[in-house]
Amino acid sequence: MKRIAIVGMPNTGKSTFFNRLTGSSSRVGNWPGVTVELLSARTILGSDAVEVVDLPGIYDLHGFSDDEQVVRSFLENNAVDQVVMVLNAAQLDHQLPLALQIHKLGMKPVLLANMIDEADQLGIRIDARALSKSLGCPVILMSARNGVGLKEVRETLIDSLQSVHPVKPHVLKAYLHADDELVAHAESLVSEHVSAPSRLVRRMTERIDRVLLHPVLGLPLFFLAMFLVFQAVYTLGAPLQDAVAYLLGLLRGWALEPLASVLPATLYGFLVDGLYDGIGTVASFVPVIILFFFLMAVVEDSGYLARAAYLTDALMARLGLDGRGFVMLLMGFGCNVPALMGTRVMRSRSLRLLSMLVIPFSLCSARLQVFIFITTALFTPQQAPVILFFMYMASFCAAFLTALLFGKRLKSDEPFVLELPPYRMPVLFQVLMRGWHEISHFLKRASTFIITGVVLVWWLTHYPEGSMPGGAGTYASMVGEWLKPVLDPIGISSMMSVVLLIGFVAKEIVIGAIVAMTGLQGAALNGYLVTQMDSIQAISFMLFILLYTPCLSTLATQLSESRSWKFTGVSIAWSLSLAWLVSFGFYQGARLLGY
Amino acid sequence: MKRVQKTMTNLSRLGTGETAHITGIHAPDDVRQRLQAMGLRTGREARVIRCTRLGPMQIRVGSVDLIMRRSDAARVEIAACDTVRIDIATKK
Repeated sequence: MKRIAIVGMPNTGKSTFFNRLTGSSSRVGNWPGVTVELLSARTILGSDAVEVVDLPGIYDLHGFSDDEQVVRSFLENNAVDQVVMVLNAAQLDHQLPLALQIHKLGMKPVLLANMIDEADQLGIRIDARALSKSLGCPVILMSARNGVGLKEVRETLIDSLQSVHPVKPHVLKAYLHADDELVAHAESLVSEHVSAPSRLVRRMTERIDRVLLHPVLGLPLFFLAMFLVFQAVYTLGAPLQDAVAYLLGLLRGWALEPLASVLPATLYGFLVDGLYDGIGTVASFVPVIILFFFLMAVVEDSGYLARAAYLTDALMARLGLDGRGFVMLLMGFGCNVPALMGTRVMRSRSLRLLSMLVIPFSLCSARLQVFIFITTALFTPQQAPVILFFMYMASFCAAFLTALLFGKRLKSDEPFVLELPPYRMPVLFQVLMRGWHEISHFLKRASTFIITGVVLVWWLTHYPEGSMPGGAGTYASMVGEWLKPVLDPIGISSMMSVVLLIGFVAKEIVIGAIVAMTGLQGAALNGYLVTQMDSIQAISFMLFILLYTPCLSTLATQLSESRSWKFTGVSIAWSLSLAWLVSFGFYQGARLLGY
Repeated sequence: MKRVQKTMTNLSRLGTGETAHITGIHAPDDVRQRLQAMGLRTGREARVIRCTRLGPMQIRVGSVDLIMRRSDAARVEIAACDTVRIDIATKK
């Protein structure tokens, strides 16, 4: 099978083009460096099946960042039949040197001048035919967002794949210093074939930035925007969640219970009260998660994340981090794992390690599930969003505290330079793709971690035989007794301690575990929770869930990205101690004050 | 037209709306390469779009907007402002 590699600078719409070409879903964000794993997909071009690989965005083939090394080593070690470079048509002066670097290596790239609609609006005119002639490789004007020019791209690719001009890795290694020459060449090409107004004016972007990057109002507006996002997740998500729970309940009553009634009581209990209800309760959170990712995708695609980096950099600099670290922290609100991978754009190892130490404190969507579940059960609808916001603040504080404490040991001199993209309207297609991506991710986890966890908890809370389900005498209560000296002082009951133990694997399991343990659902389950904890204990429990190790995937990612057992060990030890100390402080403090 | 460079200064000294030509970058090789790849190259014109006392600066080079810390902007050497203003005036 032939292979096409897509290269380009960050933020040129490579991933959007990749999605358009292959129909597959990859993360797209209006932020330099979002695509960090190598995504590949198969598609049919002409009569051939072709593998398309989307490489991370880079500024330079000779650079020193991890992403740049990833691209270089990919090209050095993999056979590629055709390199496709996506360029931002509005920034050809800036981007052609990279195209020339690639061209000079003998890769004969197909150049796609993307975002031609944006360039058009700015009054930039590109003579593609002449530029193509001067360069000796195809140049196509396109807009991946709107699908303009894609037909021509496909035809050109089918054509160019007929004549093979594979990349020669040894040339790539041999070639290094000729940048200045390339820049001069690029400038002459641009001045000949591109006409642009002498000073670009992005009126809309500048007008919006005047407000959103306002020296005084900028930060409050940013926090307001984030608060609104979370508020929207809660208020819009709750009815959706009820709807799904209702449907699953109907299915249970109509189909599952009559069908399963022939089974022996133990098996019935296991399948219906354990597995089905456990997974069903977790599944009822899927709409909330999708909603959350939709909203994050909108924020990401709009270009606001780079502004967040600008606004928060002054604060982050004091903590030894930078604005990018803050943005990764925000990405971590979705899921810690991609956020940890996103730190690859940082060149300095100590800055990367510090960011990776801080990111696991971001309140990810899995923890959000648990908090929504508990706040709904134990607090009034007026209190719940406030408690939720308090958890987000606690998440930030834990991150900042960690940076402050460890920043002195992990100092760096990494330059903070970031591209500020213009604001763009998020495209529905991309946002939907992203949502789908997250659901499939969730279902994958559900099929392994969650089922295993739910089964394990059910077994722990129902055996040995003859013991009261979820009560004294079960294995779970033995484990609970054993953990009592540690968890009693922070107000966590022995049954809940089993849930915490299981939650170490993944927070998605926590709710399913509570359901499987009690065999209860809905209002009855909420009633049970009230007997297990009062509001102070609940907050202490949530603080612990927030701060201790997020999940095994996060740990594994920390290990693989840092390649250091020591670092991963420090991270586990620190998050466990912080979780315990904060819960202890909160719980005992609140009790002392008489709550 | 020959550019007269009386004094050298750096990008971090410019205020909002001011423009200057880049004359060099003073940084270790890897950092310089990164700054250059992002568009901060000798001979280019840089314009300060926005700057605050504490936070980063927003710089426009050619068609690209960058945000960078003042301490990093200090690595970018520019031809002193007054000469550059004349420079632009004579260009037109």
